[in-house]
Amino acid sequence: MNVLEMHNIHKSFGSLEVLKGIDLEVKKGEVVAVIGPSGGGKSTLLRCATTLEYIDKGEIKIAGEKLVSTSQSGLTQYTDKKNIQEIRGKFGLVFQNFNLFPHFSVRRNITESLIHVHKKSKEEANAICDALLKKLDMSEKADSYPCNLSGGQQQRVSIARALALNPEILFFDEPTSALDPELTAGVLKVIRELAEEKMTMVIVTHEMAFARDVADKLVFMDGGVIVEQGSDIISNPQHERTKEFLAGYG
Amino acid sequence: MAELTSTLNQLASGLRFTLGIFFLTLLFSIPLGLLVARGRMSKNKIVAGLVRVYISVMRGTPLMLQLLLVYFGPYYIFGVKLADLDVGPFKYRFVATIIGFSLNYAAYFAEIFRGGIQSMPVGQYEAAQILGFSKAQTFFRIILPQVIKRVLPSVTNEVITLVKDTSLAQVLAVTEMFTMAKNLASSQVSVMPFIVAGVFYYVMNGVIEIIMNRAEKSMRYYS
Ligand SMILES: Nc1ncnc2c1ncn2[C@@H]1O[C@H](COP(=O)(O)OP(=O)(O)O)[C@@H](O)[C@H]1O
Ligand SMILES: [Mg+2]
Repeated sequence: MNVLEMHNIHKSFGSLEVLKGIDLEVKKGEVVAVIGPSGGGKSTLLRCATTLEYIDKGEIKIAGEKLVSTSQSGLTQYTDKKNIQEIRGKFGLVFQNFNLFPHFSVRRNITESLIHVHKKSKEEANAICDALLKKLDMSEKADSYPCNLSGGQQQRVSIARALALNPEILFFDEPTSALDPELTAGVLKVIRELAEEKMTMVIVTHEMAFARDVADKLVFMDGGVIVEQGSDIISNPQHERTKEFLAGYG
Repeated sequence: MAELTSTLNQLASGLRFTLGIFFLTLLFSIPLGLLVARGRMSKNKIVAGLVRVYISVMRGTPLMLQLLLVYFGPYYIFGVKLADLDVGPFKYRFVATIIGFSLNYAAYFAEIFRGGIQSMPVGQYEAAQILGFSKAQTFFRIILPQVIKRVLPSVTNEVITLVKDTSLAQVLAVTEMFTMAKNLASSQVSVMPFIVAGVFYYVMNGVIEIIMNRAEKSMRYYS
């Protein structure tokens, strides 16, 4: 079963076409790593999948629910607001710069949506939070504020915040790019563990070794198109552009 | 000595109006300022344009003139006689003062709030949206608390200015503290009442500074 289906996605900013017909399918339990040069449209792709941007043309289905489609006559239509809100409950997104809420403690960052959007009781929400913090090795930080955490810890909290809502698919946009190398490892370890638990994930990353290890499918994007995809395009690239790009990573 | 006691008593009775203008203006102008700020940032060009004109007029003309307009405007423009009307226990002149002050200060607060709201990183909105928060929840739970922290120093400035501006109510013959001081000074032929009134204003602003400093400190737990 596909948790994410994107077909023929087109997206422009003004006259700049950033996505030029992207097709991407992600199966349940699959880990997809998206690699490619800066400016290639990777972030825009994730932002379209997560409703932060609206596409001009194409079709997106998440967990079987149709988010948007383009009819035969060329009319692109999103589902109604209520459905969009419902679909938003089915995925999570981890940002490059965390976007934690600085005025909330770690605990409140994780529980606020559970309590006020998903209408869980405080006890339930706290139990979910405690279990996640324990799993991510952050239990003693429950009452800290984001500004008192290292970047790596902040990113782990933001992963916990996304996981708390029990998403069917989790998107990561360069989750370690804002971190010092020594803090990167802890975050990558968490993502690896999630992969072992068969969490469905789409990860945009520049960590090539990590991508090769953890991903079931690798996608190389450049110039708004998927140049090639497969399970071993890092070790065995077919296209010149892929080879060129990978050469830059030694 | 008796004279000083009587001066204090009379100034204290004026102080009631001063405090009344001060607190009622804050009560109305802060929420109104928030609303005006939202209007100023509205995607609707007409709304945004009208609000922009409103702010510019309020900030670009003297508050004293605005007070006179609110008081006399209804009669001279519309022929409606409000001047003798009492609203509950309040004379219309006092009500007009509150309306004038609130409209004026709302414009200043609106610009402060707008600056604060627009300084918020877009990532906060995006994270909130992904987590399913409604627009209202996002604003009141995520954005506003952070905006308050950011704008508090500028708000303190306005509040301190407001304390001193209450003396402008004298143009509508509201017997606030400054009017009282002026009357006393001329009847006693002494500057003493002015000095005492000055001390009152100064002490009030001292208290405000202490309170606002505490408020700022209480939000210093995050950055
Ligand atoms: N909001 C936007 N407005 C205009 N152009 C944008 C916007 N977001 C991205 N772009 C442009 O789209 C292209 C792809 O950007 P992006 O998706 O961020 O690529 P990547 O994540 O692969 O580096 C770039 O040329 C970028 O400048
Ligand atoms: Mg990017």
